[in-house]
Amino acid sequence: MSFAHLHLLLNHFPIIGAIIALGLFLTGFVGQNEGLRRASLILFVALALLTLPTFFSGIGARAAIKDQPGISAALMDRHEGAAMLALFVMEITGALALVGLWRMQRTSGQQRWSGSIVTILIFSILTVGLMARVGNTGGDIRHPEIRTGESVNDTGLSALVHVFEPSPDRFTELMLISKWWWAFIMDLHFIGLALLIGTVGVLNLRLLGFLKRLPVAPLHGLMPWAMAGFGINVLTGLLAYIGMPGYYTFNIAFWLKILAILLVGLNLAVFYLTDVFPTVEHLGAGEDAPMSAKFLAGTTLFLWFAVITLGRYIQSYNGTIPVR
Amino acid sequence: MVNEDLGGDSRLLVYIPSASGVSYRRGDDVVPPLFLQSIEDSGLSTWLRESESPFAFYFVLLFHTFGLALLVGANTVVDLRILGYVPEIPLPPLKGLFRIMWLGFAINACTGVLLLIAYPTKALTNPVFYLKLAIIGFAVWVMYMIEDRVFADSRLDESTMMARGAGLAKWSICLWIGAITAGRLLAYTYKYLVYP
Repeated sequence: MSFAHLHLLLNHFPIIGAIIALGLFLTGFVGQNEGLRRASLILFVALALLTLPTFFSGIGARAAIKDQPGISAALMDRHEGAAMLALFVMEITGALALVGLWRMQRTSGQQRWSGSIVTILIFSILTVGLMARVGNTGGDIRHPEIRTGESVNDTGLSALVHVFEPSPDRFTELMLISKWWWAFIMDLHFIGLALLIGTVGVLNLRLLGFLKRLPVAPLHGLMPWAMAGFGINVLTGLLAYIGMPGYYTFNIAFWLKILAILLVGLNLAVFYLTDVFPTVEHLGAGEDAPMSAKFLAGTTLFLWFAVITLGRYIQSYNGTIPVR
Repeated sequence: MVNEDLGGDSRLLVYIPSASGVSYRRGDDVVPPLFLQSIEDSGLSTWLRESESPFAFYFVLLFHTFGLALLVGANTVVDLRILGYVPEIPLPPLKGLFRIMWLGFAINACTGVLLLIAYPTKALTNPVFYLKLAIIGFAVWVMYMIEDRVFADSRLDESTMMARGAGLAKWSICLWIGAITAGRLLAYTYKYLVYP
C-alpha cells in the first residue's frame, strides 16, 4: 500500500466521521439522550486520533504524485494549508471531547447547557466545515470536473476561510526559525512524557497489583494530568512534524509510534467502554483487580514504553520508507 | 535506503539543527585535555559511537529516557499530591513510589556513565552538562529530603506531611523541569562532537 492509497483511505474518517459525530451530538442534545451524547464525544476523540495519520499520509501522497502531469503545486498547497487548519481545530475538538467525557464520568447524570457543551458544539461545527473545505480542495487536485474555475483563487466564504489557512512552506520555515525554538518544543515533549508516564504508570502499576496500599478509586483523579501531558505531546509533536515533514513521513519508526498511540486509544476504549472499568472503579487498598483489568493495564504500559522507544529510534531509522 | 532526489520540494528534505561548528576563534587556544581522547579511543567508547547495532548508543539513550520517565514521572505524582492536587489520593501509601524513583535514578546513573563514555569530549567541554549534573544533584537531594521528612515517620498525619513537604515539592518540580531542559539543550549547545 502506498501513501497515496493510505491517504485516500483514511481521509474519509475526519471528513465524514465529523459529520456523523456532530449529528450524534446534536441528536443527543435535542433528544436528551446521554448515551448518544457520550457516543458522539467518544467518536470525536477517535477521529482526532485518526486525523493524525490522515495528515501524515497526505505528505507522502504529495511526494508520490507531485511530478505527474496535470498536478498543480498551488492546488496541493491550498489543500495542505486547509488541512493544517482543520487538523488543529479537530485536535482541539478531540481534547474538548475528552474533557467532556471525563466530566460525564465524574458527574454521571443530567448534563445541562454549560459553557463546555457550547464550546464543544462550536468547535465541532467548525471542524465539520473546515473538513468539508479540506475535502473539496483535496478533490480539486485530481478531479478537474469539480473545479469551479481555472484559477486557484477562492471566493466568498472560501476566501474568508483561506485567510486563516497557513501556508505550508511558511509554517515549516517558522518551526525551523531557530534551534532554541526547536529545543523548546523538544523540551516540552519530554516534560509531557514525564507527566503522562508518571500518572498513567501509577494507575496501571496499581491495577497490575503493585503499590497495593493505594486504593484504586482516587487514582483516577490523576487522569486529567495525564491528558494534559498527552495534549502537550500531541501539540509539540505536530509542530515538530510540520517542521520536518519529510523526515518523519519516510520513517518506519515514526509510523509505528503513531500506530502504538492508536493502539493505546483502542486499549482505553476497551477499558472504559466495557465492563472492566466498573469492576475496578471502586477498588480499595489491598484489593486485587480482575485479570482483564490487569491485561489492559499491562498492555497499556507496554504500549507507552513502545511509544517512547519508537520515538527515540526515529533519528536512527531516518529514510527507511522509500519516497515513491 | 537513501531518499531519492525530491526535486524542488525542499520541505521533504531532512533538516537537523546542530550546535555551532567546530572552530577555533581568535584568542581561543584552549585545547581539550588529552584524556578525553583516550576515553574515545577505547573499545567501549568506539563501539557505542560507531556500531550499526540498534543496541549501541540509541539503546543506552533509550534506557536513559526510560529512567527519566520512571524517576521524574513518579516524583511528579508525589509532588503534585503533596501540593494538594488530587487530594482524594491518600498520601502515606505514595511512599512506595520512592522505590520506582530510585530505580529510575539508578538506570540513569548507569546509562549516563555509558553516554559519557561514548561522547566524553561533547559532554565535558559543554558547561550545560555541568549545569545539568548540578541541577540533578539538587533534585535528588530534595527527593531524599522529601522521603525523609515527609514519609519516614509513619505516625504523621496528612496535613503535617503536606506542610513539611510543600516547599520541597515546589523545588522538586522546578529542578526536574530544569534537569530535563538542561539535558535537552545538550544536543544543541555542544562545541565538539568528538575530540577535535
